Amino acid sequence: MANLVAVDNKNHKHIKINNTLAETHGKNLHLIPAIVAEFTNLAVQYPILLTKNGDTGQFVCAAMLGFESGENLFWQNEQWQGIYLPLQIQRQPFFISTTPVKNTTQETENTEHLVCIDLDSPTISTSDGEFLFTEKGAETDYFSQVKYRLSQIMQGEIDNQQLIDQLQEMALLQPVALEITFINQQKTRLNGLYTIDKDKMATLSPEQVSKLHQLGLLLPIYTMIASLGQIYSLIDKKNMQLKS
Amino acid sequence: MHSTQTNINDNLSKNGAIETVVVVGGGIAGWLTAGRVAARHKSHTTEGINVVLVESPTIPAVGVGEGTWPTMRSTLIALGISETDFIRECDASFKQGAKFAKWVDGTDNDFYYHPLVLPQGFAKGDIAAYWLAKDQKSCGNSFSNDVCFQEAICEKGLAPKTIRTPEFDAIVNYAYHLDSVKFAIFLQKHCTEKLGITHILDNVEKINTAGNGDIASVSTKNNGDICGELFIDCTGFSSLLLGKHYQVPFKSCKDILFIDTALAIQVPYEDEESPIASHTISTGQEAGWIWDIGLQHRRGVGYVYSSKYSSEQQAREILAQYVGTKFDNAKVRKIPINSGHREKFWQKNCVAVGLSAGFLEPLEASALVLVELSAQMIAEQLPTTRRSMDIVAKRFNDTFLYRWDKIIDFLKLHYILSKRVDNRFWSDNRDPKSIPQSLKDLMELWQYRSPADHDFTSNNEVFPAASYQYILYGMGFKTDYSHAFHLLDDWQYAEQQFAQNEKMTQTMTSTLPSNRELLNKIKQYGFSRL
Repeated sequence: MANLVAVDNKNHKHIKINNTLAETHGKNLHLIPAIVAEFTNLAVQYPILLTKNGDTGQFVCAAMLGFESGENLFWQNEQWQGIYLPLQIQRQPFFISTTPVKNTTQETENTEHLVCIDLDSPTISTSDGEFLFTEKGAETDYFSQVKYRLSQIMQGEIDNQQLIDQLQEMALLQPVALEITFINQQKTRLNGLYTIDKDKMATLSPEQVSKLHQLGLLLPIYTMIASLGQIYSLIDKKNMQLKS
Repeated sequence: MHSTQTNINDNLSKNGAIETVVVVGGGIAGWLTAGRVAARHKSHTTEGINVVLVESPTIPAVGVGEGTWPTMRSTLIALGISETDFIRECDASFKQGAKFAKWVDGTDNDFYYHPLVLPQGFAKGDIAAYWLAKDQKSCGNSFSNDVCFQEAICEKGLAPKTIRTPEFDAIVNYAYHLDSVKFAIFLQKHCTEKLGITHILDNVEKINTAGNGDIASVSTKNNGDICGELFIDCTGFSSLLLGKHYQVPFKSCKDILFIDTALAIQVPYEDEESPIASHTISTGQEAGWIWDIGLQHRRGVGYVYSSKYSSEQQAREILAQYVGTKFDNAKVRKIPINSGHREKFWQKNCVAVGLSAGFLEPLEASALVLVELSAQMIAEQLPTTRRSMDIVAKRFNDTFLYRWDKIIDFLKLHYILSKRVDNRFWSDNRDPKSIPQSLKDLMELWQYRSPADHDFTSNNEVFPAASYQYILYGMGFKTDYSHAFHLLDDWQYAEQQFAQNEKMTQTMTSTLPSNRELLNKIKQYGFSRL
């Protein structure tokens, strides 16, 4: 479990972040949450699918990296062998915590976003990497980048929800039905994964297509469809691993 | 808008085309039937059939039946209802069968289950005979536990699915418990807003007959005459059209099923985290039995008994004892149960659905399922013209007379297998004179072989052979296979099924959430449609 504390310029003035180690956070993940803004980057190597959150049953977008829990086929020789690192891994070891704050003067409730750091992260160092704060306690350019990345993820949650809502409203989702036989004859059936129903897409009314276009959802939808082919390169990776 | 006033002469000139269906009565039976007809016959379009529902603003719905069968899932789907909305708005929870406690000898350890999942491998090969042979040696294992994993799920208070399971899909077969008053309101809203049913709140004062004996229209107090080609009687116990107007006789089955009174009460949970049972609990008492149904926000509990064997005062005491400190004598509702049904259900152009057709004690939750089956058959076989209606009417009557008889037999089965001797109620129930011949015949056959699909060959069966097995062997009935051991020729298959059931029990009980946990999540997040 992550050991999260709020970042401040007193306690965290002297620590450095070795960003090249952020990828270790993903070495055991077979599905990594993905946001709409990074779909085109992800699609170069990973299938982008939907799955359901185990606690809430709600759909989430995810890049697929392996065929079973704990398997990341892009993690080899203690390194991430991929061109693009998903934002959810890039952002390590930083998180955002959202807490409601009572505004005493206006009796309204605001939410406060705090940048937190996972103190157990292997990226934290005192020798290698980037400082978060200057000698005077001001934020470094690096830390500004960190915050920008986190804000991208926050915006991504809103964009994702819009995509998922439209996909459900227009009934464009379908379960992935795929049984794979690997080179060693081991069989696996993909469970709990969903993708976009191409045939349904083709039957949308002009009004529906126009709506998707206006919301900027056509690009992510077709990117997801195109990324499905990457399942075959994943199978290939798995077979290579089984051979060696 | 559709015109609700059609002239009878116009109809005749059109060869009696069925254009308007009038449903009288607006309880669950009324709305469910109107809804199925309207959904199938596109009442929301101009080409569709008009469905008009006239409901008295003054007569309250009886509100019986909080237990359903898994058929309710297909009924809701046919009506185009979202499962999430239904569960949220009808205080509904999951039901995975019934637990019968104290039905055999009345001791504290005396219980068995009638689950909704068929015995392991039932479709491929029946293992009841093998279980009986094993039981002879080991003795004391529960049939439902050995052949079905659902009992363990219920005993642990687990749900039949997870929040990730799509709407109406099951990991383990399930039905619902629901608040019948809320369900009627929910159906009304859906039917009027989505299915194009015309809703008239008015009292029916007179029934007007056409020359051929059909009902031409019903006269209402403020909305004039409402004409139609088919009238569906959902007027509850008063049976206004079929009973009062057509005088179709009532066939009592009091001589078979003795229960004639229900005392019902609503019981709050201890707190917000109290477990919600995912099965109906039916506990045998001195002159009947107590139902206990867990909804999301309260339990529905009731004692059904025979007034011949218990005074009302005694019955209240027994109910009070069962409910405990939360018992409130003032809030107990007394409902008479007149067990039986009309001699036919479809007369001329009038068909009765729900209590107007008949009623039985709620032992196997047969009330709502009969409404669903009736509504389905009317919707699917709705005649196009008056001329073909008599053929459909005959079919309907044959089908439902068969179903009522089968249900009566099946309910009686629970009583004749009891060994209780604490009250004449139980011993009189075992008197052969009170047992229908059809059930006696089955019991004779089952002396030497277990219930099988070939005992139930009609298309209109309501209970499968597996249900009879669950009751028979749950209550300790011994089928004697000693003359037929040569039939037990595939022990390997049978042992595989027993092992598979054990494995499923392990998997299911370690992965399913608690019933309450899932219901809370449905409130918060809802199910997805896929």
